Amino acid sequence: MAQVPEYVRIVEEVFERYRGKPFVYVGTYRQRWDAVAKVTGKALFTTDFLKFYKNVVWVHSVRTKYAHAIIKNIDVSRAAKYPGVLRVVTAKDIPGVNDVGYVIPDQPLLATKKARYIGEIIALVIAEDPYVAREAGDLIHVDYEPLPVYTDPLQIVDLDTLKEKPHTRIHEERDSDIVAHFKIRAGDVEKALKEADVIVENKYRTPMQEHAYMEPEAAVAIPEQDGGVTVITSTQCPFDARKAIARVLNMPQSMVRVIAPFLGGGFGGKEDVANEIGSKAALATYLTGRPAVAIHTREESIIGHSKRHPMVTWYRHAAKKDGTLLSVEANIVLDTGAYASLGPFVAWRATVHATGPYRVRNARIDTIAVYTNTVYSGAFRGFGNPQVAFAVERQMDILAEELGIDPVDLRLKNILRAGDRTVHGQLLTEEHGVGIEEAIKKAVEAADWYNKRRLYTRQTGPIRKGIGIALMYHGNSIGVEGADYSSATIIINRDGSITFRTGLTDMGQGAVMGLVMIAAEILGAPPEWFRVELPDTSSTPDAGPTVASRSTVMGGNATLVAAYKLRKRLNEVASTILGCSPDDIEIKAPDVYCRSDPSRKTTWNEVVEQSFWLGVPLQEFGYFRAPKARWDEETGQGEPYITYTFGAIVSEISVDIETGQVSVDKIITAYDIGKVINPIGAELHAEGGSIQGMGYALMEEIIHDINGVVRNNNLSTYYIPTIKDAPEIIPLWVEAGYKRGPFGAKGLGEPSIVAIAPSIVNAVSHALGIRFNEIPIPPHKIYLALKREGKTRL
Amino acid sequence: MRGWGIQRFNVYIPSSLEDALKVLSEKGSEVTLLAGGTDVLVLARTNIVKLKLVLDLWPLRKELSYVKKEDGYIKIGALTTIDEIYNSFLTKDRRYYGFHDLYWNFGTPYLRNLATAGGNIGTAHPLSDLSILLLTLGAEVKLTSISGERWVPLEKMFLDIRRLNRRPDEMITEIRFRETPENSSTALMKLDRRKGHAMGYIVTAAYMALEGDTIANVRIAFDSTGKPYPGRAYKTEEFLRGKELSLETIREAYNVLEKEMTRISDYRAPAEYRVDLSKVLMKRCLLLIKSRIEGGV
Amino acid sequence: MAGSETVIQEYPDIAIRLNVNGRDYVVTVKPYERLIDVLRYKLGFTSVKEGCGRGECGACVVLMDGKLVPSCLVLAIRANGSKIVTLEGLAPEGKLHAIQKAFLDTLGVQCGFCFPGVIIATKYLLDRVSDPSDEDIKNYLEGQLCRCGSYLRFIKAVKLAVKYIKEGKIYFDLKEVKG
Repeated sequence: MAQVPEYVRIVEEVFERYRGKPFVYVGTYRQRWDAVAKVTGKALFTTDFLKFYKNVVWVHSVRTKYAHAIIKNIDVSRAAKYPGVLRVVTAKDIPGVNDVGYVIPDQPLLATKKARYIGEIIALVIAEDPYVAREAGDLIHVDYEPLPVYTDPLQIVDLDTLKEKPHTRIHEERDSDIVAHFKIRAGDVEKALKEADVIVENKYRTPMQEHAYMEPEAAVAIPEQDGGVTVITSTQCPFDARKAIARVLNMPQSMVRVIAPFLGGGFGGKEDVANEIGSKAALATYLTGRPAVAIHTREESIIGHSKRHPMVTWYRHAAKKDGTLLSVEANIVLDTGAYASLGPFVAWRATVHATGPYRVRNARIDTIAVYTNTVYSGAFRGFGNPQVAFAVERQMDILAEELGIDPVDLRLKNILRAGDRTVHGQLLTEEHGVGIEEAIKKAVEAADWYNKRRLYTRQTGPIRKGIGIALMYHGNSIGVEGADYSSATIIINRDGSITFRTGLTDMGQGAVMGLVMIAAEILGAPPEWFRVELPDTSSTPDAGPTVASRSTVMGGNATLVAAYKLRKRLNEVASTILGCSPDDIEIKAPDVYCRSDPSRKTTWNEVVEQSFWLGVPLQEFGYFRAPKARWDEETGQGEPYITYTFGAIVSEISVDIETGQVSVDKIITAYDIGKVINPIGAELHAEGGSIQGMGYALMEEIIHDINGVVRNNNLSTYYIPTIKDAPEIIPLWVEAGYKRGPFGAKGLGEPSIVAIAPSIVNAVSHALGIRFNEIPIPPHKIYLALKREGKTRL
Repeated sequence: MRGWGIQRFNVYIPSSLEDALKVLSEKGSEVTLLAGGTDVLVLARTNIVKLKLVLDLWPLRKELSYVKKEDGYIKIGALTTIDEIYNSFLTKDRRYYGFHDLYWNFGTPYLRNLATAGGNIGTAHPLSDLSILLLTLGAEVKLTSISGERWVPLEKMFLDIRRLNRRPDEMITEIRFRETPENSSTALMKLDRRKGHAMGYIVTAAYMALEGDTIANVRIAFDSTGKPYPGRAYKTEEFLRGKELSLETIREAYNVLEKEMTRISDYRAPAEYRVDLSKVLMKRCLLLIKSRIEGGV
Repeated sequence: MAGSETVIQEYPDIAIRLNVNGRDYVVTVKPYERLIDVLRYKLGFTSVKEGCGRGECGACVVLMDGKLVPSCLVLAIRANGSKIVTLEGLAPEGKLHAIQKAFLDTLGVQCGFCFPGVIIATKYLLDRVSDPSDEDIKNYLEGQLCRCGSYLRFIKAVKLAVKYIKEGKIYFDLKEVKG
């Protein structure tokens, strides 16, 4: 066995030492470090920096007219001569590599031979002002040869066989329009089917969801005196953006500096598009030597950045009479749109989670991601899991109905508990923290489940109530998708104030506040003493991407390691001042004293000052790398994730059967996230994830017409929930600690959306006695289903 | 440094109505009228409207922003905002509670401070809430040009989607409708995928006068009854007139409505749903009006 | 398109007067410029956020002569002579308005992009309805889209702001808040 790294030992030691002990800062309700800036309007988002720069040039993206076409010729001559235009940029002007693909190099920054979706960029116009740039853009003439447009993945592949159908290849440079294929082969499904008492088989569809973060993407690039470029951009992954921009500019990464200021939301959407928009601004600066800005309008944002993958799937569950699950089979098709983006990783995560948080011994899962001519899909909170969770949790409810078992009881019978193996053969132990049973019990009790379930079963009248449950689990961090490391730097300044740096971004989720609280707990200094420096590739350490619910676990561990090492040194310095042993030192800044004799005391500032005189460095870099994940490509067996977050959601709804309108009355969320580090952050996730999940269930879908044009590219036709739609939300917590998380913590960013939609749809199905297997279910779909079954009268 | 309003255009800022009409008579065909701007400036973003010369009507608010009772008419100046209508006597008068519904259903609070009565008619778009309500009040529209003025019934104002029965040298200056009897009221309803900030799958408004339980008069309007602009359900109205108001009567009226209404299917909803929702909201409007006449809100 | 002659239009500079947050400004604008751009880029009031440019998200709302308007749909020339209030002007320098304090105290800050609009819309609400019900709050904030989903906190915050104002606490010292 390889030696356990020091940082892992530190995390485990801290977990054991603090377990069950009272915390000073962790777990307390505190104001976020960035709150005052945000309520006073001082917080600077990307485009706000424009007020500091003069002589700026504007970059306008000229996009294709056809969603699928061969580009025969691009004539920019008239645009280039338009007054106010500095430069028209096409692919040949790119000094480096014309590619911004995230996982595979399939996505040009500027199209050359082909347009594959309606947001495809053909050329950039760099001009003195944005109006000129846009007017000139209209003068660019492109000769297209239109090709057939595919907007449904089932035009590309067959759901039963998962084989490609004859069609005009979208990615002619590849040998197939199937981008990825992942499998699980566990046990003996044929045998299970023979033993089964009940078999439930259904098809499901989930929509393309838009992040609709309130801040559209933007980038501001500034030329540096040594020929380098600084890019301020709305990115979740500043180091990935730097890598992409450096490749486009053909520069070493050291010459490109990426700063991620405050982000107006991300939800996974500000990953690869930041590479694109950052590159566009950087390219303009490189070519003109002037500061450059690229801002996507809302309409452009909607057609031009990645989405949640639409899914089409077939599921078959087999069970015994007593409810024991015997097998799960699924064919899962994810539409990754015109480009892979993070599609292959999304397909992998969907595969891993394809059987839900249940004991499943026999399984056959096949997931493919396929190209179409829709806007490309990539990362979005949940990353493939909300799609499969919808199917799995609907299957469980339908199975319960077929068996005549209460949906909660059926789930309790099959959930994963410590000592069980996942469908991938991963043994879950107490060390992982497996709190789903407790989560179910808490949610069910708070909801008065059994009573209401019975009460709502036979209703008359125009308003029908329903109650539904859904479970979820979600692998923490990125598993086998990439190098799973994180880092943070803590610097104690000579006046005792503390500087905190990490390359993890705060897109609004508040994770960095959690990291500060972790550091504060270990150091013994209040969170308010910390100043958080925003991600900047020139100062903050590369902490890996801010994705996959990894900030609190991975960044938290890195922070914990740094703080632990600093604390150790502070204790030693205090020990020389106070004369008691380092282990006896208690820090409750500003007080520092001997635990055995509190009258022997000094101050935080004195300890800091002495450290400088004694030559004890008070800067520390913390690093953490997750234990390596294992995954067998042929069988899907291994240990895909370090641990899992678990959750149980109960939703209560009312349906107006004359109109089909659903009101979500209440959502109860019970999540096992190990230790709750930052309770307010956790609550806001429970609330925000619920509301976003409600949108996913009831109203949200990007719609392409047959020509691949997005019909709803704005915020009055792409519906997101408003304050009038928000239900009452009750967040509950289970703290089954994870031994290798900071104080036992696990992630919540993505899990908070995963099981919301199925819990709501299960409740609607319960209220109406109608099975809904597609989302969203807007009023017209519900009403027409009621009408078909003769269940409504106007 | 400038941001991104998308189109460049010139603006004429008139000093008076007369000045505005003069510009219209000279350059009418190249002029885009800008009332509240909540529609035109949005359409300009996607090049649906190409702006060359914009005539900013906002300065005319000093002349054309009012709600008043005069000569048995309610008169609304074309540049009165939805907010100003709400804050007028109309919403305090039971007969016009439909304007209360209008306010709370119309876009969002901030749009209600810009969008105007004339603009709502001028856009000639199906989802023009005020136009729909005004149709039920038998409103007329005053079109003014340098050579005079004419009154056009609101239902004759729309020619097609975004096409108005207006000469290039004319502008809408006033909307009026006759005061309605004491035993009458109005209502407006819409429903959409979400509850807030909704444009509506459909929009329905109704005016009804009752004598006892008998429907003395009724006018019902929708965002569309077949044409791509707001229109009335005349046959349904005719069917209901003189009948006793009851759930049964309304349900019988569904059949009439169904026959005279043609709905489109689009990405937002199929026609079948729009028709059925029209029935339901018509029913609810009529029942609400009844309760308003009887003293409810 | 191809073949047609490019006609170059001339657009005049127009001087307008604005009073923003109590201070007078004279700004030169083009006829097609929007109030939001003048506020953000010419005068530096970057609390005014652009989320859609279409009057659909509420991030850019300001008070114009006391009325809540989306500054993306107001031409700058139309604002000539008006009094504008943005988040920066809600409280005197070094102070927090009761509404800001309430939004802090209810701990609902997430990405914060929608906050300036939400706070200004709340000011508008409380100017019109001094003691709003939940229903009133939802009615007045329905156009303030928040994708992080802090809606429930907004309701709490507005109520807390009402409490502060009733207690006569209109302004709070920013230093005390920062601790």
